[in-house]
Amino acid sequence: MTTVQLNKLSRYYGTYHALRDVSLSVQSGEFIVLLGPSGCGKSTLLSAIAGLDDLQGGQVLLDNQDVTKQEPSRRNIGMVFQSYALYPTMTARQNLSFGLEVARTPKAEINQRVEWAAQVLQLTPLLNRKPGQLSGGQRQRVAIGRALVRKSNLFLFDEPLSNLDAKLRTEMRVEIKALHERLGATFIYVTHDQIEAMTLASKIAVMRSGVIEQFGPPEELYDRPASLFVADFLGSPSMNQLAGTLRVEDGRVFVEHAGGRSEVTGYPFAAPPKDGLEVVLGLRPEQLSIGEGGGAGRLTVRLLLIEPLGADSLAWCEVGGQRMSVRVPPALARSLSGELPVSFAPATVSLFDKTIGHRL
Amino acid sequence: MTRHLTPARIGIYAFLIISAAFFLIPFFVIVTTSLKTVDEIRGGSIFELPQALDFSAWTKAWGTACIGRDCAGISPGFFNSVKIMVLSTGISLFVAALNGFALAQWRVPHDGKILAMLLLGAFLPYQVMLYPLVRMFSIAGINQSLAGVVLVHVLFGLPILILIFRNFYISLPAELIKAARVDGAGFFQTFFRIVLPMSVNVIIVAAILSVTGVWNDYLLGLIFAGRENLPMTVALAGLVGTQIGVPEYNVNMAATLITALPPLLLYLASGRYFVRGVTAGAVKG
Repeated sequence: MTTVQLNKLSRYYGTYHALRDVSLSVQSGEFIVLLGPSGCGKSTLLSAIAGLDDLQGGQVLLDNQDVTKQEPSRRNIGMVFQSYALYPTMTARQNLSFGLEVARTPKAEINQRVEWAAQVLQLTPLLNRKPGQLSGGQRQRVAIGRALVRKSNLFLFDEPLSNLDAKLRTEMRVEIKALHERLGATFIYVTHDQIEAMTLASKIAVMRSGVIEQFGPPEELYDRPASLFVADFLGSPSMNQLAGTLRVEDGRVFVEHAGGRSEVTGYPFAAPPKDGLEVVLGLRPEQLSIGEGGGAGRLTVRLLLIEPLGADSLAWCEVGGQRMSVRVPPALARSLSGELPVSFAPATVSLFDKTIGHRL
Repeated sequence: MTRHLTPARIGIYAFLIISAAFFLIPFFVIVTTSLKTVDEIRGGSIFELPQALDFSAWTKAWGTACIGRDCAGISPGFFNSVKIMVLSTGISLFVAALNGFALAQWRVPHDGKILAMLLLGAFLPYQVMLYPLVRMFSIAGINQSLAGVVLVHVLFGLPILILIFRNFYISLPAELIKAARVDGAGFFQTFFRIVLPMSVNVIIVAAILSVTGVWNDYLLGLIFAGRENLPMTVALAGLVGTQIGVPEYNVNMAATLITALPPLLLYLASGRYFVRGVTAGAVKG
């Protein structure tokens, strides 16, 4: 069992500030996903936890022990790299046992652990092949196996699935999740794929230019994004955004936007709403429903086209020059046309301060 | 594919044949002359074929020809050259591979400046350093010795060899080295167990460059090797330059061929790698 505690990590590449006072607390056995666009510092953060990168400030604590100055090998971690980084001249078995040999583990124990890891990952028939003779998915499993034989309680994954094709990626995703449940170890996983993040994580940390924007369970990030950036990054299609002005009248609250006026009374404001504030109204496609039964919030939209996705359909509409998507049942989608009334429940939607991008 | 004998193609072939002839004619003269007797040489044109295959000039050049007062041919020089070459190439390759790896994949402070200095070293004519080196070696007591000549070959060979190894190692994925660090391997373990087994091609390339460089060297061997360890090239020059009486052209030619043979065979056996080595040094710098 391993807990990870990061205190105000700071990392510069020349003058470029890759990590800005990043703090993060990970409980034992959690599956943490670091999510963000390329260049946001998520891989740098992972390297810092692994000890592969020197830090200019801050502390890394594993199990409450300060390991900031320790070499990666002394941190008892397992790491899986994006390019697999298998040793090309060694067989799969040698790849697995190399770390143990370096640590002078007795031969019998090496064999036992390699056999165990190979069995867990269904690699046993492939142990005598070299990486060049393995497929992408098999190489990935050897890379995971190399982390596995170290019997560490902290696994770090650096975009491990991005070199695989779509089908294999889905399979490996399930395998990694199953592995996490089986081992009960702490996993920290870097990706830029929000679907991977949503499906795997027990908690997601969304990163942007060297800071963690929001850290929490996937549902929380999806339903109550802390900022416009998080709202935009999570979800496919992304959250509809309507810019407008907040109006407070006799205890009722409205958003005035290009397509008219929508009531948001009942929205759980963190602070009392201010009249005249520039805001962005964030609406998930499935938070909108056609007709007036969805809640107190109302919009009138003009239908542009229908995108059938199978299980449901996306109705792409326009309101005040702004494009929006509404998730609708396929049967209903076929009957829609022209101007439509759309409603939403104000309590479930998101409101952001337009200037600073934070949730109200 | 159809082949048309266009005027351009004829021109190209004519050029190629003439160029080949240009380089082959002297070679032809050397080979034929080495197989003639002294009388034949004196009597006929240099382009005439020998009357009989006579290898006596070769055996004389190898074993009994006199260089100054020593009448042992150029074979002692051959063995000296082999000794110098094996030691110089072995040490250079090892040190260059280690340094190239450190510069390419390890966090070395000021590695850019070190590289710039190496480049300077690779292009500086070594003649300017001869006198200071002789003084330094004689102070250190290794002037005119095998150790001296090997050391000087290693020193002058290192810059270009380090560059070749570095350029190869810079193309290795950095994640591989990181993986080794996570596995707990230190610098030398990473180098010997992971990096060196991947370097077979570049080692062959560097070995070819180093072997031909050391084997064909004359000046360094003459200055630093001392009388006991004079390499083959110096012996050859002695043989050709110090004969008394009738010049034995056939023996000289045979000795030249024997001296030139090892690098020639090396080129023929590994030309593919040699071309790769030249480009390895040239493409990235």
